[in-house]
Amino acid sequence: MKKAILSVVLLSMAVWAAAQVSVTARVNKTSLTLDDELTLSVEVNGASGNMLMPELPSLPAFNVYSREVQQSSINGKTSTLFRYVMLPRFVGKATIGAIRFTHNGKTYKTDPISVTIYRNAQSVPNTRPASSSAKVSSDGNYDSAAVKRPVEKADPNLPPLERNLANQAYARGDENYFLVAAVSDQTPYVNQSVTLAVRFYYNRSFYDAPYQKPSVSDIFMEDAGSAQGTQSIGGVLYRYEEQRYLLTAAAPGKATIGPATVRYMTGSSPFSALDRLFGGSAVSAEETAKSDPITLQVRALPAAGKPKSFYGAVGEKYTISAEADRTQVEAGEAVTLSITVKGPGNLKPTGDLQLAPIDGLKIYNTQATSGSVPGNNGQIRGYKVFKTVLVPAASGIYTIPSVKWSYFNPKSATYQTLQTDPITLTVSPSTKTDTGFNFGAAAGNGFQSFSQDIAYLKTDAAPEPSFLTRLSAWQTLNWVMLAVLALSVLFASVGRKSLAQKRAYATAKNRLKKAVSDEAIAEAVSGYLQHKLKISTGSMPLKSILQALHKQGITPATAEAFSLLWQRLDAARFAPASADTQDAQHLANQALDILKLLEEESK
Amino acid sequence: MMRRILISAVWVLCLAISGWSQTEAQQAEEMYRQGKFSAALGLYENELKKAPNNPYLYYNIGNCYFKMGSKGLAAANYYRAFKLAPRDGDIRHNLTLALASGGERLVPAGVPAVLHQAFFYLSYPELKGLVFVFLWLFCTVASIWLIKRKLGRMLVASAVILLLSGGWFLLRRSLEQQHLAVIASPVAEIRSGPGTNFPASASAAQGHLVTIQDDKDEWYEVIVQSQGIKGWIEKSAVEQI
Repeated sequence: MKKAILSVVLLSMAVWAAAQVSVTARVNKTSLTLDDELTLSVEVNGASGNMLMPELPSLPAFNVYSREVQQSSINGKTSTLFRYVMLPRFVGKATIGAIRFTHNGKTYKTDPISVTIYRNAQSVPNTRPASSSAKVSSDGNYDSAAVKRPVEKADPNLPPLERNLANQAYARGDENYFLVAAVSDQTPYVNQSVTLAVRFYYNRSFYDAPYQKPSVSDIFMEDAGSAQGTQSIGGVLYRYEEQRYLLTAAAPGKATIGPATVRYMTGSSPFSALDRLFGGSAVSAEETAKSDPITLQVRALPAAGKPKSFYGAVGEKYTISAEADRTQVEAGEAVTLSITVKGPGNLKPTGDLQLAPIDGLKIYNTQATSGSVPGNNGQIRGYKVFKTVLVPAASGIYTIPSVKWSYFNPKSATYQTLQTDPITLTVSPSTKTDTGFNFGAAAGNGFQSFSQDIAYLKTDAAPEPSFLTRLSAWQTLNWVMLAVLALSVLFASVGRKSLAQKRAYATAKNRLKKAVSDEAIAEAVSGYLQHKLKISTGSMPLKSILQALHKQGITPATAEAFSLLWQRLDAARFAPASADTQDAQHLANQALDILKLLEEESK
Repeated sequence: MMRRILISAVWVLCLAISGWSQTEAQQAEEMYRQGKFSAALGLYENELKKAPNNPYLYYNIGNCYFKMGSKGLAAANYYRAFKLAPRDGDIRHNLTLALASGGERLVPAGVPAVLHQAFFYLSYPELKGLVFVFLWLFCTVASIWLIKRKLGRMLVASAVILLLSGGWFLLRRSLEQQHLAVIASPVAEIRSGPGTNFPASASAAQGHLVTIQDDKDEWYEVIVQSQGIKGWIEKSAVEQI
């Protein structure tokens, strides 16, 4: 059973492989005169390895005088072209019957082709090729370089880049291999994407063709894909290989694109490929095709009218859209907002979108991704997607407002602004109670801090100034009062001393009346001398005391009496006698008499 | 009779002014609640002309500016309110928020918040009043001591308290004498001289605190405290506190 399945699979693969071979026959014109050449091309695609020449049917109306074989391999696909150049023999309708081609035991047949042969050129209504299928690989005359033709002009309705390339190719249609380069705009603005196309045209086979891309200065260049195609130049079908680049200038001024080169190996005679195919020896030569350098004049963007939402995009037909991955969430859950900008050229160098704060939503940093995809007419379309995460802190209805994005339109030389539609988010209260990471939703302790705002207005009356504030307001009064206080203290202090002097005798008298010892008498006398006569007796010898008394106007007799009293008191101080109250009272009376004399004489 | 009529007229006038004032404050609050911050601001500024030392009016004006997006002017008005009523929690909270929006801090880095609150517990006039109280106390005790030779320990204690409060007062006085200002325009350019012909060396966003050092024509020489940058700023870009 397994073997049967394997056989079916292998058979299917063989059938599939066989189906890949296609054979097409074409002529370069269906109406011709007896003086014209007719080129019959038989193209075999998908066949590889050894192959036989196609079997031509009987051609009684033509003489076949030349044949050629070209083989090329592009992207692993082999294509072989057999060309026959024929001369008509008779006027009238002629049919080229089915051409048979056998490969790997399978025979392929082409459809018959009808041509009309006229006697002269005036009679020829149309000389279009029999087929213009896009799959035609190569066609044309035996030696196009030998044919002199008027230079053709490209269709003016073609895009500038295509028209430029085609015109350059028409101008060089007398060469079998050539390289041309053109840009979509030679005076772009800063940041405007310009397409550079480099085309290698050929109508002969070649091999080993290393390509060197153009060097650029003051401009950023990146690959934008490759393409293949055909172009009829002077009735000869050329094939071309095209490489495209996207150029972006970051600063105004001149920018230069150097020449691109292709070094290719080609046979030395038209039959070399045929010779190689059938085992003959070939002589090859290396040649170089080079494109012309191009200079761009980069223009600065106008400063006038530049909107805040301009991030550097220059081009036409941009679009913007915004989308939230969900519009109904719980508080604390994340919503991904995607804003997509699409348009011509490369959006990679443009700045990142700045989202304005939205009340109640925490906005995380925006992540941008960009890229490009092939567009129509060989243009490149870029895209940039800005993604950000929004987290609503509390339940409610939130509106993500329109986001503005501006670009410079080089055609109208004006800034134009696009904006997204607002998006409404419906946020329900959070049901999460865990303490895990949930973008700030309700935590386990039931408390949730959303954001900080200022406290509300003060609607009460302002507090009355405090006592201390009022006190500080009476600054002058305070200083005056303090000055009064200081003066009062000063006067009080002086008055206190004067009062003590006045009351010295009365105080001493009271103390002497109450004295019951010599010591108490001595203290009373010392106090009197200190307060009344300002004589400090603490450490003063008697002689000094007597001198002080003399200065106070005390008579010698009174001074003598005081001297005796003082000596008596000194003796009692250092040799205390027995405590006799009557003696003490007697001594106190004597002392009082002496103090009375001192009081009288000191006045 | 004439005297009675005069007294009655004064009373009626006072009552009328009081009633009208209350209505205007209520209107301002209503405007604020409706999001008409500019209209509320106009009403509060009218009120302020009548009571220039009312901290709550400065606070409400700051709120209006904050909601209008003028964080610099908001900070300036909160600061004025803070100087008048430093113990008010709402004023401190809003001032902290307004300063933070400009990258500034009310409590300097490294200073404990409690210490800052203690240092600014009293307003400058209150602190001056406190120093007078302690001066009175000291003088009284000193008088007693001079006359009676009593209360010697209390005299020493009152002298120490007076010295401490005097030091506190002098520190606050040095801060009060700084010409503090806030950047009020969205962005202010700091130039090396008083004129646009001098190159701009830096720019400061609104809400940054600066101290004014000098004054020439339409320019202030300032120091941006948080950055330690010195330069000249146009007067129109700065709001003095």
